[in-house]
Amino acid sequence: MMKFLAAVVLIVAPLSAEVTVIKNATIMTESSKGTIKGSILVRDGKIAEVGENIMIPQGATVIDASGQWVIPGIIDCHSHIAVDGNMNETSVSVSSMVNIKDVINPEDVAIYRALAGGVTTVNVLHGSANSIGGQTIVIKTRWGKDAQGLIFEGATPGIKFALGENPKRAGNPQAGRGGAPVPLRYPATRMGVEDTIREAFNDAKQYKAEWDAYDAATKAGQHPIPPRKDLRLESLKEVLEGKRFVHAHCYRADEILMLIRIADDYGFKIKTFQHVLEGYKVANEIAAHGAGGSTFSDWWGYKMEAIDAIPYNAALMAKKGIVVSLNSDDAELMRRLNTEAAKAMKYGGVSREDALAMVTLNPAKQLAIDNRVGSIEPGKDADIVIYDKDPLSTMSKVQKVMIDGNKYFDRDNEVSGRPQKELEKEKLMQEQDQQQKKAAPARRPQ
Amino acid sequence: MTGKKSGDRSQKSELVAIALIFSAGVFAAANDTFLIRNTDVYPVTGATQQNVSVLIQDGKIAEIGAKIVAPKGMKIVDGKGLRVYPGMIDSSTEIGLSEVSGERVTVDSGEMGEFMPQLRALVAVNPESEHIPVTRVNGITSAMTFPAGGRGGRGGASSQIISGQVALIHLAGWTWEDMEINRSAAVHVIFPSIPTGGRGDEAADFPDPAAQGGGGPATYTERKRQYDQALQQLNDFFAAARQYQKERAANAAGFKRDLKMEAMIPVLDGKVPIAVTAIRARSIHDAIAFAEKQHVKMVLLQGREALKVVAELKEKNIPVILGRSEALPDNEDAPYDQAESLPGQLQKAGVKIAFGTFTNQFARNLPYSAARAVAFGLPYEEALKAVTINPAQIWGEGDKIGSIEKGKWADLMITDGDPLETPTHIKHLYIKGQEVDLTNKQTRLYEKYLSRP
Amino acid sequence: MQYVMKNAVLAVLVCCGCALGQPQPTSLAIRNARIVTVSGPVIAKGTVVLRDGLIDAVGDSVQPPAGAEIIDGEGLTVYPGLVDGLSTWGMPMAAAGRGGRGGTQPAAPAPPPARGPEDRPATTSWIKAADQIQMNDRRIEMARNAGFTTAVVFPTQGIFGGQGSVIDLAGAKPEDMVLVPSVGQYISMIPQRAGYPAALMGVIAYVRQIYLDADHYKLVKAAYDHDPRGMKRPEYDRALEGVIESKRILLPANREVEMDRMLRFAAELKQTAVLYGMHEGYRAGDLLKKSNATVLVSLKWPEKARDADPDEVDTFRTLETREKAPTAPMVLKQAGVKFAFYTDGVDASREIQRAVKKAIDSGLPREDAVRALTLSPAEIYGIADRLGSVEKGKIANLVVTRGEIFDDRTKVEMVFIDGVKHLPTPEPAGRGGASTENPGERQ
Repeated sequence: MMKFLAAVVLIVAPLSAEVTVIKNATIMTESSKGTIKGSILVRDGKIAEVGENIMIPQGATVIDASGQWVIPGIIDCHSHIAVDGNMNETSVSVSSMVNIKDVINPEDVAIYRALAGGVTTVNVLHGSANSIGGQTIVIKTRWGKDAQGLIFEGATPGIKFALGENPKRAGNPQAGRGGAPVPLRYPATRMGVEDTIREAFNDAKQYKAEWDAYDAATKAGQHPIPPRKDLRLESLKEVLEGKRFVHAHCYRADEILMLIRIADDYGFKIKTFQHVLEGYKVANEIAAHGAGGSTFSDWWGYKMEAIDAIPYNAALMAKKGIVVSLNSDDAELMRRLNTEAAKAMKYGGVSREDALAMVTLNPAKQLAIDNRVGSIEPGKDADIVIYDKDPLSTMSKVQKVMIDGNKYFDRDNEVSGRPQKELEKEKLMQEQDQQQKKAAPARRPQ
Repeated sequence: MTGKKSGDRSQKSELVAIALIFSAGVFAAANDTFLIRNTDVYPVTGATQQNVSVLIQDGKIAEIGAKIVAPKGMKIVDGKGLRVYPGMIDSSTEIGLSEVSGERVTVDSGEMGEFMPQLRALVAVNPESEHIPVTRVNGITSAMTFPAGGRGGRGGASSQIISGQVALIHLAGWTWEDMEINRSAAVHVIFPSIPTGGRGDEAADFPDPAAQGGGGPATYTERKRQYDQALQQLNDFFAAARQYQKERAANAAGFKRDLKMEAMIPVLDGKVPIAVTAIRARSIHDAIAFAEKQHVKMVLLQGREALKVVAELKEKNIPVILGRSEALPDNEDAPYDQAESLPGQLQKAGVKIAFGTFTNQFARNLPYSAARAVAFGLPYEEALKAVTINPAQIWGEGDKIGSIEKGKWADLMITDGDPLETPTHIKHLYIKGQEVDLTNKQTRLYEKYLSRP
Repeated sequence: MQYVMKNAVLAVLVCCGCALGQPQPTSLAIRNARIVTVSGPVIAKGTVVLRDGLIDAVGDSVQPPAGAEIIDGEGLTVYPGLVDGLSTWGMPMAAAGRGGRGGTQPAAPAPPPARGPEDRPATTSWIKAADQIQMNDRRIEMARNAGFTTAVVFPTQGIFGGQGSVIDLAGAKPEDMVLVPSVGQYISMIPQRAGYPAALMGVIAYVRQIYLDADHYKLVKAAYDHDPRGMKRPEYDRALEGVIESKRILLPANREVEMDRMLRFAAELKQTAVLYGMHEGYRAGDLLKKSNATVLVSLKWPEKARDADPDEVDTFRTLETREKAPTAPMVLKQAGVKFAFYTDGVDASREIQRAVKKAIDSGLPREDAVRALTLSPAEIYGIADRLGSVEKGKIANLVVTRGEIFDDRTKVEMVFIDGVKHLPTPEPAGRGGASTENPGERQ
């Protein structure tokens, strides 16, 4: 593993101090420039120029992408990769004190596989077991860096909410996993989910009032003892102050509306509705609230709350002015978000550029990082993916991936490196097999 | 296409046309008789024919040619700018047997019992299942529906070995009798396996949390012992069936019919293959040896480690129904494109492959599974065959479906593009020459909410 | 004459053979032995004098005082007594292993599942190992046989297991064994089977909250002590008291990712931390050096499971760690990272010896292996001024071997604990390997 990582780090030529030109490709810029045939100049990790005719400066590294296609790095707005341990703090219905950032595992091979599927930015979320889940972060798939090195600097942190069947599952007796009965956990119904969230914000509001009073007193020159810092309420206070984005897992129209009304009552905004499979039914309300919708392309029918899911969801919500992204919530699916995007073309007649936006610019907007990523425009991070064919084709594959101007994935290198990796592993296995055989006589089981 | 052949064809079509005109007087517009005009035909078993017409008569493909003139009153479908392909076949689903996979009461696959060859998936197929109209919207006209999915009994019997008879059904019909192509296209065997530490099968639909077991014995020795035991029981069961077959033939006094054993006879006779779910190389290897020993025909399902035993598969002519190529590698060190590359690798080695989605909710995405394999080495034509003629032949209906050839059933899709590409739409779908409704609950909900002010 | 009588007396005393020492002469000298002081150069031939439980003198020209019991050190080597850097020897129910999961649990009923950090789940931070010592733990005797005189023993149940104590592995009663009652708080990162926290991130959030609460607790207490009038009296929270009085914390880390995580966490909490585990220490030299980390390396080198599935291929990562883990001590030494060994459940003396030898065979110089089991743990726990080397004035804890310590054929001849001599006892067969000596040759 270390050798492999080391190899990758060596291949990742730190080009950011230099200039790289990706030339002669079909570029879907996801900007006002649209789709052009041309080149991209990268300098110091940023996109410096995009155009049909680019002058290649002396000493620039040139990537010849003739016949190939280029898109902005894909952004997956809903993922649980790179997490050590359970992605759910399943014990309590309000677990806003836990933070995914504490358990990021930069050596999860899922990061590399996502990279090989063109994903450069990931919204890593707590699971959906709790009405109010844990704090979330955004990372880039900078394979080979340590946990700190993955973090998307400056991205607003988030928190996960969950509505519907998942957060109420622990409130209902479950088909036993062949063991002792598990103590039930409130809530057991959607009514209880609403109550749980309202109670938490009721507490948070009071907590905030205490801290506001303390801040005021301090400003006035007094020296009171500060209130006790309560991590559970602290993150909800940040929601109330607009400093932390709420990403709410939801399915049914009634619960989507319910959460919008809670947010209205407490004066905050839901940043994105996740899955939101019935979002099309309350698209007016979601649009009015200003939330984004991050959904599946065509999953349906696996749970009761998904029986009215339709593959036209993305197109319908977009029609109503909602910023829509397509996500994966799955380590396998995240490798094919390009073809997931194409499903919006099939179901709802979304245009090519708008479809691709659902996995690039739109999730960037939803995460408020579109000043940095999501399109190929001068000034943005050089997060760029090269495909061998039209990226919206089912028969295309990723050739190269660049993040911050550094090449993090190269299929040719990956494929040619395989025999060597296999040999090394074979060698290790044989050595250890021999060692075990030597020690075996003393250990033969009775 | 080229001179001589099309010349012959056009002569023939003229004769047909004349014959039709003369019988025009008694011609009644039947709904499984029509002409698709001026279209590009992709027969799969032959070269593409551009700008030809296809005549469907009484639900069968009657003629393909450049100049077919339709008799008066015959329905004509304008195929201009469109393409005609054979309807696709999903070789592994639970369509009709499972509605909401996470809700046990809606699921009828996965019965209890270890050896249940007498169970018939067909009779539990709900013709009104929403999965039927949702799936066929994307050009799938028939499917194998399994009594235990691809994974094993969900009725609590994770030790189930023979789950029942797999039905090949059309995705249209008033009753399951209507839908039936073959009520017993295979008998499903979940080959014993030695459970590994936590890896297990690939993910299909959302796994039922209640069904997720832990446990099993901790040591390999114990697991191997259980495996050997299960394998022995399987062999014993077949031996008992053979014995029954003898006694049945002898028909001595006092002979009693046993439905389980009855169900085994077509398998023993080689008329019905066993469809064997096996994932690891050693299970596949043992399954092949088992089929050989029992003199039965075998189709391999999933076979994730099939490459390790590809020589045996090729030698014994065992076809493989591959799971979705959209799958993660089976271990941390495997190449990221391991699943996507497998179909191409097997095909290159001479193994006959077909695709199955092993789900209901993703059955409509069957062609994309095939397409993904094309990106990683499977030739395009082979991908198309793997969802049409290959499954047709594997399941014994190669003379009826799977390609556009004279005499075959008109299971057809008319598309506005390459069906293996996502944005393509199915404009018309036919099953046995009858046009099939392409609306479903999802299109209706779409229309409804499109019109919400 | 005197000499013969002395030997006779000695012989009688020795033949009583009980594990605890008998009344001894006031001073004792090991003469003409090789002495590995650890703190200074090896003395090829010298003498150590023990008196009143302390090292009275050591050197190549030291004369034993009059009346001292003399031990002929010809062919023997004297080392400082071995110190187990993180131990459960002498702890109740220690066989259950660390943390709140699995294994045999105490008979006490499980507490109700915690509903959050406020319920202080899996926390017994106020417990001191010094108050829990079970002298009849067979492993204490086994440890002495292996050359250990001292162990830093921790209560290890739960997330905040409690405070560790430095104990000598012999004494008339438990209290006599205690050198230092509280040297640090044992923290595990194990989620709970029931209740909060159920996930690793929950454990981390809990620990974080405890330290926030501790800071607040101190603030409130200080304010109240300064002027209690008009102020509601502060609560008493023994969990926080236990955490506040711990001068360092022990945090688990086997993978490099975990080391990085725990080092950052300790810095955030503003706590002095010692990492324990270190299976991937071989690749973390730079990280640990940069963070000025102090670590405890487990002697339980990762091994393949006995009854493993032959078709189940380990990952490259697993294979590599298995191969390279024993090189960690050498890597740490070269990187200049402060480390000590701990036995981590390897209790049989043969197994301990083999485990240390593995590190030596993998590149760690023997003297560094010795240091990692003597002066280094003493330094890590801040008691190097009284323990860990053969120096005048230090506690007379020694191990005397015939042969180089940790070699396969080497025998532990005796250990001295607080100046009292202990001879090895035969270990029952099948306890994980041959005993370190032939029964017939027992002194």
